[in-house]
Amino acid sequence: MGLDGPESKTKPVVLWLGTNTCAGDLLSFLNNNNPGYQTWVNDYVDLRYDYLLGVSQGPQNIEILDSTLADLPGRYILIVEGTIPTNSYEFCSVIGIKNSEYWTALQAVRELGAKAGHIIAAGTCAAFGGPYAAAPNPTGSVPLQAILRERTVINVPGCPINPEWLMGTINHLILYGVPELDSLNRPRLFYGQTIHDQCQRRAHFDNGVFAENPGEPWCMYKLGCKGPTTYADCPSRQWNTEHVSWPVKANTPCIGCTSPEFPDGDMPFFEHLPDVELPGIRMQANQVGRWAGLFTALGIGSHLAANIVTGRLAGNYKRDLASSRRKRLLKKKILRKKF
Amino acid sequence: MDLTLKLKRKKPRHSLVARVLHWLYAPSVLTCIWSGFYINRPAKIYGFRNMNSAQKAHFIAQFTLIFAFLARVYYAFQKKNYKEILPNRQTIQNLPRFVRYELFLNSKKPQFPKYNPGQKLLFTGFVLLLPLQILTGLALYFQDSWQKTTKIAKGLNYLRQLHFLVALGNAILVAGHLYFVFTQGFKTLKSIFTGYK
Repeated sequence: MGLDGPESKTKPVVLWLGTNTCAGDLLSFLNNNNPGYQTWVNDYVDLRYDYLLGVSQGPQNIEILDSTLADLPGRYILIVEGTIPTNSYEFCSVIGIKNSEYWTALQAVRELGAKAGHIIAAGTCAAFGGPYAAAPNPTGSVPLQAILRERTVINVPGCPINPEWLMGTINHLILYGVPELDSLNRPRLFYGQTIHDQCQRRAHFDNGVFAENPGEPWCMYKLGCKGPTTYADCPSRQWNTEHVSWPVKANTPCIGCTSPEFPDGDMPFFEHLPDVELPGIRMQANQVGRWAGLFTALGIGSHLAANIVTGRLAGNYKRDLASSRRKRLLKKKILRKKF
Repeated sequence: MDLTLKLKRKKPRHSLVARVLHWLYAPSVLTCIWSGFYINRPAKIYGFRNMNSAQKAHFIAQFTLIFAFLARVYYAFQKKNYKEILPNRQTIQNLPRFVRYELFLNSKKPQFPKYNPGQKLLFTGFVLLLPLQILTGLALYFQDSWQKTTKIAKGLNYLRQLHFLVALGNAILVAGHLYFVFTQGFKTLKSIFTGYK
C-alpha cells in the first residue's frame, strides 16, 4: 500500500529538493495534464517544499524541512532533482543556511533521505548522473543512489522527464505503493520496453530502409538513433501534454536520455557507437574499425608480397606437392607388391 | 622396412570431433562477423536483403557458435588437448625463432610440435576473445532479462561498443588464421578436412 492508503483523508507530504539541476524536470512536470499541476498540488498531495515554486524563503524553508523531518519520519515522499556534488567541500550546491552554516545538498539528501518514506530521483541527473556528472565532472557529481546506498531510490530518468512518468510514479506510490522496478530501479510501467520495440518506424528498420540524412522519413538507425538501447515509452506515450509528438516523429534520432550512460555513452549523438577513448586518443568506433582493417590488410599484404618475392609461398606448395607425389608412388608400389 | 607400415596412419592431426566442431564454429564466426558488420552499419555491400535477414543469420550463427565453442572447450579438457593450444614456457622460448623466420630474417623453417608459437597465440586469442564476444552478445540479445549485466557495463551502448571492439579483434584473428592456413601449403589445410597431413 501507499503512504496513507487510498482511503486516507490526509494528503501525503512531498518534498521536492533541487540540487545540481537545470530545473528542466520540474518545468516539464508543470506541463502535466490529467491531473494538471495545480490540481495535483491542491487535491492530491501536500507539497511542503519545492525549491523553485515554493513561496517560502531562507530560514522558513529550512524550518519546513526540519519540521517535516521531525514530525513525519518515514511518512513523506522525497523527490530529488539533480546530481549531488561532492567536490569543493560540497559547496557546488547549497540548500540553505542551517545553524549559521551552509547546509549542502549532500547533507540535506543524507538527512532527508534517511527518514523519507519513499525516495524518487527525478530526471537522469538524479537517477544516473546525466549531464551534470558528464566528463570531466568538475563538481564530482554523483547520482542519488550513490549517496543513499542502503535505501531504494526509484529512478525516473529522462532529460527532461516526461511529466507523466513522474506523475504516474508518485500517484502509484500514493495509491498502490512501489511500482514494479527493473534492475536500474526504473518503474517498468514507463521503462519496460525499448524505444526501438515501440517505434513507428520499426518496420523500416526490419526492412533495411534507413535515413541517410536527418529529415528523411525512414529509420534513423544509421544516424545514430539510440532507440534500440533506450528504455522508455516515448513512441506510445509521446510528449507535449496532449501526446502529439516525440523526437523520432519530429525527425530527429533518439539520443537515449533515459539510459544510465547518458550523455557520455550516447555521444556523439549522430553516431552509432560511443567514441573509443585511450590515453591521449579519442576516436570514433567505426574509425577504429577502419584503421584495424587497414592495418590488418597492410600486414597481411606485405607479408604475402614478401612470401611471393622470396619464393617461400611457391616453396611451401612445391614441397607439399612433392610429398603427396611420393605418397602416391608409395601406394602404387604397395598395390603392385600385393597383386 | 615394410612399405605398408610406412603408410600406416597412427594418429590423425585433427580428430573427427575436433574437425566437426571446427566446421561448426568456423562458418558461425564468419557469419557472425559478416552479419555483425551489417548490423553495426547497414550497407548493400554485405549482401543481406535487409536488417531482418542479417539479424536472423546473426542469431542462428551465434547459437551455433555458443554450442560449438562450449563443446570444443569441453572436448579440450576431456582429451587434455588444450595443452597443444595454450602457450607454455617453451612457446615463449620458441617465439623469437618463429618471429625471425616470419620476418624473413631466417630462411630455415623451424620445426614445432603440431602448432607453432604464432598459431598458439592466435588460438589463445580466440579462447580469450570468444567468451567475451559471447557474453556481450548474450547481454545484448537478452537485454531485458540480463539487465544486471548492462549495469556492470554502465549501459547498453557501452556493451555494444565492447561487443564491436571484441568483434574487430576476432576478425583480425580470423584474417590472420586464414592467411597462414592458405600460405603454409595445402597439407595443413587438407588436414582440417581429412584429419591427416
